[in-house]
Amino acid sequence: MSVQETEDVGAHNNDNNDELAQSKGSKKESVLSQSLNGLSGEEEDDDDEDDDDEELEEAVPDVVLPSNFSKCPRSDLVILISRMLSFLIHINDSASRTEQYELTRFHSRVPPQISVYDYLMRMTRYSALEPAVLIASVYYIDLFSAVYPAFSLNSLTVHRFLLTATAVASKGLCDSFCTNTHYARVGGVQCSELHVLENDFLKRVKYRILPRDDNIMNCKIERQEDIFVTAHYAEGHVRGPNNGFNVLDTYYRKIIEIVGSYDSSPDKTKKAHYSMEAPHTKPDTKSSSQTQQKKRGWEGPDADFKANCTKKPS
Amino acid sequence: MASSSQFKQLEKLGNGTYATVYKGLNKTTGVYVALKEVKLDSEEGTPSTAVREISLMKELKHENIVRLYDVIHTENKLTLVFEFMDNDLKKYMDSRIVGNTPYGFEMSLVKYFEWQLLQGVAFCHENRILHRDLKPQNLLINNKGQLKLGDFGLARAFGIPVNTFSSEVVTLWYRAPDVLMGSRTYSTSIDIWSCGCILAEMITGRPLFPGTNDEEQLKLIFETMGTPSERTWPGISNLPKYNAQHPQHLPKDLGALLQSQTREKMDLALIDLLYGLLQLNPDRRLSAKQALNHPWFAEYYQ
Repeated sequence: MSVQETEDVGAHNNDNNDELAQSKGSKKESVLSQSLNGLSGEEEDDDDEDDDDEELEEAVPDVVLPSNFSKCPRSDLVILISRMLSFLIHINDSASRTEQYELTRFHSRVPPQISVYDYLMRMTRYSALEPAVLIASVYYIDLFSAVYPAFSLNSLTVHRFLLTATAVASKGLCDSFCTNTHYARVGGVQCSELHVLENDFLKRVKYRILPRDDNIMNCKIERQEDIFVTAHYAEGHVRGPNNGFNVLDTYYRKIIEIVGSYDSSPDKTKKAHYSMEAPHTKPDTKSSSQTQQKKRGWEGPDADFKANCTKKPS
Repeated sequence: MASSSQFKQLEKLGNGTYATVYKGLNKTTGVYVALKEVKLDSEEGTPSTAVREISLMKELKHENIVRLYDVIHTENKLTLVFEFMDNDLKKYMDSRIVGNTPYGFEMSLVKYFEWQLLQGVAFCHENRILHRDLKPQNLLINNKGQLKLGDFGLARAFGIPVNTFSSEVVTLWYRAPDVLMGSRTYSTSIDIWSCGCILAEMITGRPLFPGTNDEEQLKLIFETMGTPSERTWPGISNLPKYNAQHPQHLPKDLGALLQSQTREKMDLALIDLLYGLLQLNPDRRLSAKQALNHPWFAEYYQ
């Protein structure tokens, strides 16, 4: 995003001002976010660690998430995914500082001001993104990086990437989705630019947007051999009776494993320790009080933003 | 990837909702293809129908599913390059109308088409894909008597838990009663109902339930198949558009009804298969695999 556009995002985002201020620049300006979080008694400077250890333990609530991601509150999912992305951005930013890198259509000139968390929250709220779409956008990082070596998710590419990935996932996987005009307005770019980004993404992944376990492999083969459909699975090929049709479950589990713990996450936007309920246990039998207590209901105007979306397929 | 210069555009084959289809000739290989041109909308970008059709059809290599060979991007349109098929089942059935009287197919042809239809559907379902718009117009046939599923613009993958399932799918005449009553938890059974309607239509040459709106569609279905109740279909009263006041109809003899509209002899196995496909309760409908193992098809699998 250009500076101009970043300002656009800011302008659209007036209603989110408090959130915006709270976690501004979750990557590099973690000092800012921490001093703000400090209002609620949280510090992470080494010097203070001893003093605050107990307080920190108490202040970070445990949240048990359902094993079925489509039941996971989207507000929690947004926190987890922004932690995951911040984690990746942290790694990739330090790598790209030492290397020459190639510009892609996804690059901004300067890191947009809006944090990953706020941006993702904004899109989730106003574009009615489903859990599957949110997790698919993380899966698409791996897919896109696998076939497009020049691309890496960093603080310059994350915003445009998320906008494109969520738009593509909504259109490709869900029955209810919005127009690109709507997605672009929420995401703070020109609609024509979103068309270009979407087209770039779809072409490079050769429309392989179904999150299935052999998808990235097939996509790589098709790119290497410059063919449209890999011949590597024979006519009448059928996958085994595994759940290889849905790699999103694995992504969901991994994300919770990697960044569920508040302490290990570079993104300190929201305080919570996340874990997943043991599969096949009823949510009522285990830690339901914790879950209930912490479960932030989706207070956003679901009904309102659904009205903005075209109900498809028509 | 192919480029558009590789193909010579020939006559227009049809206008779809989101695309225009032309016959094309691959100049290098001399093979005919169908070129489906999709306009890139200034609001929508790449239409979701195209995103789905391409992403799903890449997964589906089967002799009873139309092959998608390639996609060509140009400035403001997308061209999908498909295997060329001579005709579709709707046009083929229409061509057999004599005067005002429709004629069904010979029983051997009905059986061969339905067998191929179910093979294609079974393959989609094994690959966790729902077609969601099976109807004669979307079944393409060629001069060798092959039948292939086409038009996956409404299709979707069903292995991925997504909360929004639309109940506005499948052309009205071929739409299952549970979907008509607003069910959003449907699965493979949605396609099976359509296969049943198509089978009956191939026998008589007339659509089985030609309703003009949702309400009339359900009425036509219940008049023939009987009005379902919580006893015959546990859970029906939870469907969003379930109407307990629906007039009660007893099931009619479907075999006799269809037999009166064809000169071909319908055997008991065929009638049994029809009932298996046209179960009102989606849980009781046959799966595509089960239907293929039905005794009516014994000559193919024995």
